[in-house]
Amino acid sequence: MPGVLWLAALFVAPLVIIAVISLGSLDDAGHLVLGQPTLDNYARALQPAFLPAFAKSLYYATTTTVVSLAIGYPVAYWISRYGGRRKIALLVLVMLPFWTSYLIRSYAWMIILRDNGVVNSALIETGLLADPIQMLNTDFSVILGMVYGFLPFAILPLFVSIDRLDQRLVQAGRDLYASGRGAFLHVTLPLTMPGIVAASLLVFIPALGDWVTPDLLGGADTTTIAKIVQVIFTSGRDWPYGSALGFMLMGVTIVGTLAGLRSLRRELIG
Amino acid sequence: MSGDRKPPGVTFDDALNHKLAKAGWSRREFIARVGAFGAYAALTQLLVACASPAASPTAAPATPSPTPAGTTTAEATPEPTAEPTAVPEPEGELYVYNWDGYIGEETVAKFEDQYGIKVTYDLFPDEATQIGKLQSDGKGGGYDVSYPASTWMPAFIADGTVRALDHSLIPNLANLSPQWQNPGYDPGNQYSVPNAWWTTGYAWDPRRIDGDLTSWDTLWDPALDNRMAMLDDVRECFAAAAFRLGLSPNTTDLGELDQILASLAEQKPLLRLYTQDDIGDMVGGTVDLSHCWSGDWVQMTYEKARIRYVIPEEGSIKGNDVMVVLSGAPHPIAAHLWINFNLDAQISAENTNWIGYMGPNEAALPMIDDYIRDDPRLNPPAEVLAELVELAYLAPADLAKYTDRWTQLRAG
Amino acid sequence: MTERPSRWLSGFAALTYAFLFAPIVILVIFSFNDSRRVFIWQGFTLDWYPALLQNDRLLDAVWITLQVAALAVVGATLLGSLLGLGLARLRFRGSGGVQTLLLLPMVTPEIVVGISLLVFFSQLFGWNGSMGQIALAHITFCISYVAITVRARAASLDPAREEAARDLGASAVGTFRHVTLPLLAPAIAAGAMLAFALSVDDLIITSFQAGVGSTTLPIAIYSSIKFGVTPQINAISSIVIALVGLALLISWRVGAFRGPSARPVDADAEEGSA
Repeated sequence: MPGVLWLAALFVAPLVIIAVISLGSLDDAGHLVLGQPTLDNYARALQPAFLPAFAKSLYYATTTTVVSLAIGYPVAYWISRYGGRRKIALLVLVMLPFWTSYLIRSYAWMIILRDNGVVNSALIETGLLADPIQMLNTDFSVILGMVYGFLPFAILPLFVSIDRLDQRLVQAGRDLYASGRGAFLHVTLPLTMPGIVAASLLVFIPALGDWVTPDLLGGADTTTIAKIVQVIFTSGRDWPYGSALGFMLMGVTIVGTLAGLRSLRRELIG
Repeated sequence: MSGDRKPPGVTFDDALNHKLAKAGWSRREFIARVGAFGAYAALTQLLVACASPAASPTAAPATPSPTPAGTTTAEATPEPTAEPTAVPEPEGELYVYNWDGYIGEETVAKFEDQYGIKVTYDLFPDEATQIGKLQSDGKGGGYDVSYPASTWMPAFIADGTVRALDHSLIPNLANLSPQWQNPGYDPGNQYSVPNAWWTTGYAWDPRRIDGDLTSWDTLWDPALDNRMAMLDDVRECFAAAAFRLGLSPNTTDLGELDQILASLAEQKPLLRLYTQDDIGDMVGGTVDLSHCWSGDWVQMTYEKARIRYVIPEEGSIKGNDVMVVLSGAPHPIAAHLWINFNLDAQISAENTNWIGYMGPNEAALPMIDDYIRDDPRLNPPAEVLAELVELAYLAPADLAKYTDRWTQLRAG
Repeated sequence: MTERPSRWLSGFAALTYAFLFAPIVILVIFSFNDSRRVFIWQGFTLDWYPALLQNDRLLDAVWITLQVAALAVVGATLLGSLLGLGLARLRFRGSGGVQTLLLLPMVTPEIVVGISLLVFFSQLFGWNGSMGQIALAHITFCISYVAITVRARAASLDPAREEAARDLGASAVGTFRHVTLPLLAPAIAAGAMLAFALSVDDLIITSFQAGVGSTTLPIAIYSSIKFGVTPQINAISSIVIALVGLALLISWRVGAFRGPSARPVDADAEEGSA
């Protein structure tokens, strides 16, 4: 598989360089010292102070994944079952907003959500609300922004899996369990499991590493751990320390993801 | 389109002719210089140069991956012998690396028309990317001219990212006002030319907050809970708290830094956000008061004229950025030409009038829009300026003290 | 096989599309804002569209972005599809390792990816950043997305179908072309669309790989935050939306959008009746 070779050459090899850097340190003049490998950066990254940011990241990513699946599954199902010849057009329509700039879309959300924004104005105008409610710069706006940003990454893999579903099996399931719900739980859901797994991966992992959405739509209290990594690399200009924290996060994410996948399979496929 | 425009660089053309008359000297000097770059490039251990913020290419420890020294830079740098043919005249191209919108609307087109030099004007999304790119090969990442904050100059001079300027090619240096002739970060402007300068303070919407605000304390006022933003910038936030506490914004004393952190932690619950976009948050009405730079305030007033700005009485920061010619510049003559062009009184005034930031150009003052030039908050009198502090370059160990506290504050 | 969708389901889908397009409506409206900035509505103007056509810097950035995206989509779709298919089909020693390898580009913080590739290219090849370097980086991080999407489909395919084709005398290549590929086509198309979206909007990794003359659109847009985003950016986005939307509308009207997804369904039907 040439893809493996590609990833090995252009991803793993560069990553090894960063791994070496993460064991280095900076001397007084700011030069990178790689001669005496040390784990100091890893010790420094193990900060209890970072736990709240890590918890925020987990919270955002988990919520985003659940909501994206909950919205994405019915929509993917609808496109697949009733899209007919227009399936591809409907899918392109899902992707179309994402061929514009992320930043400009975020600005649009700010205009919609801010205190004097579209939603608040509409609610006040119609008399449903006396004073504007704060939606922007909250956990709500961050999760909304993430769900918006990652929804297509749930819908597309769900679609390709649901679209493969053999309706005769679902029909058989309906006969067997005598209810649409039973057929869905025991036939449709397990058969589309590969799509659910793929969608979860494509939403959860990037959401865990997202810091731009909290930056743009979040507030003073929505800092994610990915932002901390970013800060250490940029304003901190400390590549060894940033790399170390980055590697620790990668380790936790991979182990957690693989364990999650395994238990998901066991639970749902048996 | 430039035909009817007043050619700004007449004096420079004279200077260049003068220079060209001595072409032999100039060429020899240039060859020597380029040759030196070639050797230096070959010595450069790139990993170190890219990896460390203030890397000096000559003090390179072992690199983790084997690098054939010869091949490393062969593609990145022009062959030493290939360049000198371009010396007698300015090169036909120029690579500029700057923010979007940070130059007069027509400056690039006018320069191109006047000198027949094609300008490639590349952008960076944030300062970290800019600095990373300029240091990625230890000599400017392939660009001719860039606009770093002056804070970087000591590091850039020490590690050879920038080259010494040939002042005989920049006669418009005479346009600089006296206070910019000898800046602390680069005495005598040997390596850089100041471009634009600003103060830090805060802006507020007088329709939402009454009174004449004057103090940093306002940013800690519980009455403004959830209506304020601080800049998402470690040094500026620490400086604001330091001034409030009567400390130096460049302190490296651990006790003082802990005091500053405590003060910022006290402030955090009152903030709506740490902003990336103070202009948008103020104009859009997300906050009623925002920590900001003076030039950003000008941009705010374009949309909401009533917004006010103050340089707090406890003291504040003044900063500036500079134009530099990078040590690996493929088109050094054109680069000097560009700097000289931007120091022209007319062009400099056009830049200021478009971006809202004052320039250091005394000759440009008569052509700068009144509302910028005559506003003491944008162009403070000398005695106010003298009180303002410049952010100092911090060595890694000292910067780490800031980073540790800033990440704790933000993560908590 | 055709049944009417429930009102609830259709209504839900309609709401979701409304959610997806809500900010796009705002975005388009503000492309007509009579102000240098996009924060508040100051009045109607058409000026930003002609201004856009004069703005060579922005148009160059669009062109570079599209070229990079084309390379990235082709490269990542090809490599990622094969990888996804292989992972779903072959049980080989080390397939667990390959699975982890596939996750790596997604779990690595973007700035780590960006810096590692920057160091790698400048260190080993002496590259100083270019469009090609950006494209290589994009292919690298897009492979995983394509592979995971394709695997989701390949995993639910019945290998018996390919075996049947082989038994009936089809060559390996023929089986792949006429049986496997059409079955995978929707997933490959979906993966390509994801790769395109990732490529045209990537900032962090791209900005570290950019060099002289390779400013992409996201870099230009983020660079403009510092001094204010102009409605020109909205105008560009609006044009993209309008062009793709128009193409969609035409295909919709013609009603003959026989995209790749139609074929495997037909194949199923034929097989079922056979």
